[in-house]
Amino acid sequence: MLSDLEFFVSEALVGMKRSGLMTFISIATITVSLIIFGFFLLLSSNFNNLANFISSKLEIRVYLKDTLTKREIINFENELRKIKEVKKIVFVDKEQAWQNFQQNFKNINLNDLIESTPLPNSFSILLEHNENIVDIAQHIRGYTDYVEDVNYGGAIAKNISVFANFVKLGGLGVVLLLSLATLLIIVNTIRLTLIARQDEITIMRLVGATKAFIKIPFIIEGLFIGIIGAILSILFLKTTYGFIAMQIQDNISFFPLVFEESKLNYLYFMVGISGTFLGFLGAYISVSKSLKK
Amino acid sequence: MIEVRNVSKIYLNGFKALDNVNLSIGKEEFVYLVGPSGAGKSTLLKMIYKAEEPSSGKIFIDNFSLNNITERQIPYLRRNIGIVFQDYKLLPKRTVYENVAFALRVMHYSRSKIRRQVSQVLELVGLHQKMSNLPQELSGGEQQRICIARAIVNNPKILLADEPTGNLDPETSWEIMHLLTKINTRKTTVIVATHNKEIVDNIRKRVIALEKGKLVKDQQLGVYSTNVK
Repeated sequence: MLSDLEFFVSEALVGMKRSGLMTFISIATITVSLIIFGFFLLLSSNFNNLANFISSKLEIRVYLKDTLTKREIINFENELRKIKEVKKIVFVDKEQAWQNFQQNFKNINLNDLIESTPLPNSFSILLEHNENIVDIAQHIRGYTDYVEDVNYGGAIAKNISVFANFVKLGGLGVVLLLSLATLLIIVNTIRLTLIARQDEITIMRLVGATKAFIKIPFIIEGLFIGIIGAILSILFLKTTYGFIAMQIQDNISFFPLVFEESKLNYLYFMVGISGTFLGFLGAYISVSKSLKK
Repeated sequence: MIEVRNVSKIYLNGFKALDNVNLSIGKEEFVYLVGPSGAGKSTLLKMIYKAEEPSSGKIFIDNFSLNNITERQIPYLRRNIGIVFQDYKLLPKRTVYENVAFALRVMHYSRSKIRRQVSQVLELVGLHQKMSNLPQELSGGEQQRICIARAIVNNPKILLADEPTGNLDPETSWEIMHLLTKINTRKTTVIVATHNKEIVDNIRKRVIALEKGKLVKDQQLGVYSTNVK
């Protein structure tokens, strides 16, 4: 068996060498396609990350009427706690809010202009899941006896996750088209090798080679093309992403980039598998078509 | 060993290559298949190794009907049949050794077994000194010997030779024919399709003559000429 494998691999290498230019073009195409594929994966993964990040920071801010007594505020808080999705309620005292505000905007001296706090008391509410944030905010707005106003940052989060999905879908479309083009090029490369080795194939058949035996070297050739393309594209993606991520980190430090090894390795793994599979499939199609007779 | 029963072959263009041929070839026989070009010699040989299908009739090898052999089984049939071609069909970029070893490779022989059998057979055909040469560095006769070595390297039961001396000068042709008879003595059934009257008349064996697809003569220790009955 080992000598069979050696034979197949050496035959595959001979094939790659003989149709050198086409092999090179195939590897280049598959590499570029995989880079674009990886780019879209990274992009949508980062947008999703951003959307999740923002969602996790989302809160409903409920501004209370200034006329409420302490008791009424406590009653209302208990009322709010009954809402299913509510995870956490924090009461923000208006004095506290004012201090926070001043802390955040130190350079503007408002004390000179405003005597007492202009801000109302408020509740900051965190939800279990943010999908229902709009409905819940609307619901809270209904307590007109207590509520002055309700604010939430739902729109942004929603837009980002819609955008992430859009990137994912658009990317998928582009990737599918590219894969098809890559596949065609690989099919043709292998076909050229097949044509170049037609005599050999005839002789193999006459001396009793099975179809599988004849096919395997060509399929290995396709696999090699796929694997080489995969390795090149992963190297490129890794270095480039590392570099760009560093730049972004340095300049927009709050931007939540995907840095987890496991997540990135999974993405690169997907790129690698896709390349290998494309190479295999291209060769398989070509060989099955040509060796039918 | 080989039974041909009522075999006819009509090609798509209407050409009748074989017309109701019946013959039987025994184990370890040596048979000449003679006749002019287009008489159907090659077609008959191709049917034996399943490169052609009869339009009607049946061919049996060892009581196995070739009609029942599936496409998947063809490679295994061919492993029992060595084939020698007029144009040698060698791989030009591979050495003599590799050309012969190739046949064993496709049958999954181990490397040590390949080495042993290839050097034995190259010795038999007298090419063991040239095993590292490329085919084009050798003469026509030597190239035909490579082809023969490849055909018999796994000791097939049957050796088919289609015009093996067609491209060779008379002297070399004699050498090749002597080699084929030598292989026959190693218990291999040998069928040689040939034009070569001189050889057929001098190395006397069974002669089967075809003309326009019909079997016109089947004679033990026969001669080429069709009018000698």
